Amino acid sequence: MIQATINRKPVTVPEGTTILEAARQVQVKIPTLCYHPDLPPTASCGICIVRLEGTKRMLRACCTPIEEGMKIITHDPEIVEVRRTVLELILSNHPNDCLKCGRNQSCELQNLAADFGIREELFTKFIGGNPKDDSTNAFVIEPDKCIHCGRCIEICQEIQGVWALSFLGRGFNSRFAPAAGQKLVDSPCVLCGQCASHCPTGAIFEKDDTLQVWQELQNPDTFCVVQIAPVVRVAIGEAFGMSAGTNVTGKLYTVLRRLGFNAVFDTSFAADVTIMEEASEFVERFVHKKGPLPLITSCCPSWVIYLEKQVPDMVEYFSSCKSPQQISGLLTKTYYAEKMNVDPSKIVVVSIMPCTSKKAELTRTEEMFASGYQDVDYSLTTRELARMIKQTGKDFANLPDSEPDHLLGDYTGAGVIFGTTGGVMEAALRSAYSFITKEKLGELEFEDIRGLDGVKELSIDVAGSKVNVAVAHGLGNVMSVMNRVREARDKGEPSPYDFIEVMACPGGCAGGGGQPYGVTDEIRAARAQGLYQDDREHEFRLSHENPCVQQLYKDFLGEPLSHKAHELLHTHYVKRTTG
Amino acid sequence: MATMTAQDFDAIKESVQAGNKNWIKVGMSTCGIAAGASNTYRALEDELTNQGQTTVSLRTCGCLGMCHAEPLVEVCIEGLPRVVYCNVTEDCAREIVRGHVMGRKLLQDHILAMHYEEAFS
Amino acid sequence: MSEKTVLLQDTTAGSTTGTHDFFGIFKAALRESNLADTVRLVRVADMGIYNQGVVMTILPEDITYANVEPNDIKRIIGVTLKHGNPVKDLLYQPKFRQMRLVLKNCGRLDPSSIDEYIAADGYRALLKVVEQQTPEQVIADLTASGLRGRGGGGYSTGLKWKFTREAAGDEKYMICNADEGDPGAYMDRSVLEGNPHSVIEGMLLAGYAIGATQGFFYIRAEYPLAIERVQKAIDQARERGLLGSNVLGSDFSMEIEIRLGAGAFVCGEETALIASIEGKRGTPVPRPPYPSVKGLWGMPTCINNVETLANVAPIILHGAEWFSGIGTKTSKGTKVFAVTGKVRNSGLVEVPMGTTLRDIVFEIGGGIASGKAFKAVQTGGPSGGVIPEKYLDTPVDYDNLQKLGSIMGSGGMIVMDEDDCMVDIAKFYITFCVEESCGKCAPCRIGGYQIMHILNGITEGRGTLEDLDRLILISRAMKMGSLCGLGQTAANPIISTLTYFEDEYREHIVNHRCPAGKCKALLKFSIIRHLCKRCGLCERACPEKAISGDREHGYSIDADKCTHCGVCFDVCKFSAVERV
Repeated sequence: MIQATINRKPVTVPEGTTILEAARQVQVKIPTLCYHPDLPPTASCGICIVRLEGTKRMLRACCTPIEEGMKIITHDPEIVEVRRTVLELILSNHPNDCLKCGRNQSCELQNLAADFGIREELFTKFIGGNPKDDSTNAFVIEPDKCIHCGRCIEICQEIQGVWALSFLGRGFNSRFAPAAGQKLVDSPCVLCGQCASHCPTGAIFEKDDTLQVWQELQNPDTFCVVQIAPVVRVAIGEAFGMSAGTNVTGKLYTVLRRLGFNAVFDTSFAADVTIMEEASEFVERFVHKKGPLPLITSCCPSWVIYLEKQVPDMVEYFSSCKSPQQISGLLTKTYYAEKMNVDPSKIVVVSIMPCTSKKAELTRTEEMFASGYQDVDYSLTTRELARMIKQTGKDFANLPDSEPDHLLGDYTGAGVIFGTTGGVMEAALRSAYSFITKEKLGELEFEDIRGLDGVKELSIDVAGSKVNVAVAHGLGNVMSVMNRVREARDKGEPSPYDFIEVMACPGGCAGGGGQPYGVTDEIRAARAQGLYQDDREHEFRLSHENPCVQQLYKDFLGEPLSHKAHELLHTHYVKRTTG
Repeated sequence: MATMTAQDFDAIKESVQAGNKNWIKVGMSTCGIAAGASNTYRALEDELTNQGQTTVSLRTCGCLGMCHAEPLVEVCIEGLPRVVYCNVTEDCAREIVRGHVMGRKLLQDHILAMHYEEAFS
Repeated sequence: MSEKTVLLQDTTAGSTTGTHDFFGIFKAALRESNLADTVRLVRVADMGIYNQGVVMTILPEDITYANVEPNDIKRIIGVTLKHGNPVKDLLYQPKFRQMRLVLKNCGRLDPSSIDEYIAADGYRALLKVVEQQTPEQVIADLTASGLRGRGGGGYSTGLKWKFTREAAGDEKYMICNADEGDPGAYMDRSVLEGNPHSVIEGMLLAGYAIGATQGFFYIRAEYPLAIERVQKAIDQARERGLLGSNVLGSDFSMEIEIRLGAGAFVCGEETALIASIEGKRGTPVPRPPYPSVKGLWGMPTCINNVETLANVAPIILHGAEWFSGIGTKTSKGTKVFAVTGKVRNSGLVEVPMGTTLRDIVFEIGGGIASGKAFKAVQTGGPSGGVIPEKYLDTPVDYDNLQKLGSIMGSGGMIVMDEDDCMVDIAKFYITFCVEESCGKCAPCRIGGYQIMHILNGITEGRGTLEDLDRLILISRAMKMGSLCGLGQTAANPIISTLTYFEDEYREHIVNHRCPAGKCKALLKFSIIRHLCKRCGLCERACPEKAISGDREHGYSIDADKCTHCGVCFDVCKFSAVERV
């Protein structure tokens, strides 16, 4: 343990603790700007400087480990003046667009400016005049709002390993931009949105589709339907002061109806359908040798983009099954429309996703129009829905619970755990086991593939055969798994894995790019716990036991992997350089 | 090759010192070259050939530190004091060969006679 | 009687006729004494001695006299020329002299000859160390010598080696920082071009001490001659078994290779340099951890400046005590300065630490070339400050210069006279830092730009007194908030010039006048009627057609059209254009 003093008060902390963390012991939250608890510090803004007592030497609290005997002063008049000057310098290079900016009220720079009582523009304003980039369907990049914190680049390069973003140029002219100054859509970007969810300002912001959704809701001719992704229910509460992981499913159903949606569905139902198809796919390959192993999940659209851009040689392993979002929309405009006698041309499907690349998935290929119409019309992020709710003034926290429309709304525990890393695999194994052995698994929870380790492995016995699975989350962790598969393939050896789940975002959808700001591993874990709890509280915990799913196949699809199922619920993949 | 020993070092030192009788060194670091030392070198080379001088070795060296006075040429002819000439243009270079080397007369108004303390010998 | 040579110069400022006159008198005296054939009398261009009247050096005895009068000649002939003895009361008593330690063999040996380096006792330190000393002993020697980093940091070299040696790591690296980015500094370039083996030997000794197996020269790409010569020297050393596996037959192996810079001043900073070698953007990272613990590729790395390394072999050979006997209490050894600017003798100067600035500028530098008044000397490059006349007697060392608001830096020393504008100087340096800033941290990236903007305004007549407050505010933020040394010290020239020359700033702001006559936008040109010969040359030369008039009425300048280019001032043959 290290003994030191901060503001002349003693602190005792384990070795390696930064000054920033140690200061919490004496109830000081040193102001920071570029620092994000989810990332290693970039140490660029200079706001968190503290003084070595009695000297002129300044240290950055966010990255400097506290040493034995160190005497730190966190604020004195000179330090406060310097922090304010640094802030004023940053503001002199930032547009005054708060009232028109998507981060109004949630911007970290704005918060600091308010805290420091900025009242005048002390320095000449210099705005870069760099053009906006809205070349993708998911984001808008406004480089002039960038404060060079480096978080997006750190996460895109080091953690996701995608390298779509970088700093270009030098000094005052340095700017953050897609690699080589391309448009974002032409870069390696997979639209995972980790950059946007970590950005302190409005420099990278999701394309806001709420205005169009309001218009659809107000249009008397449309029949608006909404589907909610699994993890939204344990995260959206954070925007209303609740702790991460609080399950607000019932309130969500209520508020969506009160917003004007004619039907409220749950994507977790479609997740169950996905499992029907995918577990069957697995059985086809594993038992009947009708396709190569490993089977790799494909419900994460950023993972699909990554596959198509970076590892197209692995396409043959991909499950052809569409994602739950697309399946839900497709079933709405066919099965539901038929059953409930609604004109599918009037149906508008809106999905609420923790994800930004779902916006691009809507028009990925012509198969996304398999219903004869665009299967899903809009995809909103958790953040966008939170804003819509706030715009209506509804007191979300105090809303009563209600139920979804059961036809496409009832789900099992297996469906809802899709929202966290390892969840898809667990759900698939639960059903695949039953499909193969005709028995039910004794233990439904697989600890080995839960949690936040980058790559998790598991081996289970299924009717005397070993099924080896791997779960990877965070794209930076994926390549090592892919390379092991490639190596075995090139040597002609059996694959080390039979089934692989990949989620592009660290933590899976729980840490999705569209989720509320300020994610940390703690928060990812709390959201995951919320989902596991929901699973435990469900009567049905295996996808194929869902009565509504059984009815769907009986009345409409026939069997998993039937001709109709293939036509409507499956897709294909191509090598891409852009998009 | 065989590992070098102290004796090898001594032998090299002796051989180098033994060879050091008559020479001209031209400062050819960036400062010298920028001031025209390449031309100076060529002029010296050319004039030495013209004069049929074969016992004086023409060499290059680094920067003596008096960069304002480049090109610098140091001349050592047996029996004459060793001197450094400054601002040695091509004409001056030829004069050095003719006057100092052949005529054994030091050039007027061109010598730099700085004194230094050597930190170690 | 053996031949003697008398080298002669009248060192009174601005006197060349003096040398010729004395030459004549002396020649006549020699003829009278029948010494004309045995005494060579030579006028020299420069004795390196100034304002000491007639100075002469008699060879081969190397006796130097100063302030020689014509009636001293008789004694000189009788005592020295005839008998080789000194005339004691005429002896030149130098206050001090340049001391050649780092530059000892520069300009003496051929940089492309490893044999000449060995003949000058090169690689003997390496031999001594691999045969007789442990790495710990080498480190102890270096620490006892008091050698401090010559790149500007001034950190104890021995301590840095010690920490690197003690740090845990599978591999250790030695880097020679030859990025030398300060404008006006070229000491490292000269050492690399003039005596590359001395630095290689220093690297090998350092590698032995810290336990490195790989060394890198990080040489800025703008030094092609240095790169060429260092590479050749590396190849030669490898050929002779002085580098590579089993150096001189011992267990010590070390490879050395060159890595090139790519035009970034910031890559002279240790962590940015490391990033550059790793192939990343050359931006610094916070320290701790220091490179000696976690540096290149995460391994313990020691980075030393070229000049620092060139000191190592002499210290090993001649001892720590010898080295620490040179210099001051806290700054041992010598320092090479690149003295440039308005000084008469620009070039490289090596002096023991503790030599005064006055001695360097006037005694060695020869004073102001134009004969104008000395104004200030700028040390330490863009991280340093200006030192005005009243502090010229300060002995140069790390601590003294820091107390004056400047730094030693890598050794750049730029001499300024009354024609240099201090605001313009500050503007020059901050513009340099703005161009070279990597852009990672806000205080440097934006602060530097704002300072540059303000100084541009002041030099163009748009400054306000509030600007002075803003300059102080931003300077403090840069000093305390920047991530690396570039940003932390970029405001030093501003603070320094404001401290010593605030009235010059005020003159620009309040009276729209540049006292040095440098800031073009503030210059006012007018025609002096009684000197004007009405030739019309200025009218024809003016690119803005701002001058009008004729032979009858004379000429005048329209101040509204004048862009202060100064062409009229330059072309007037009668000095009839006034510039204020």
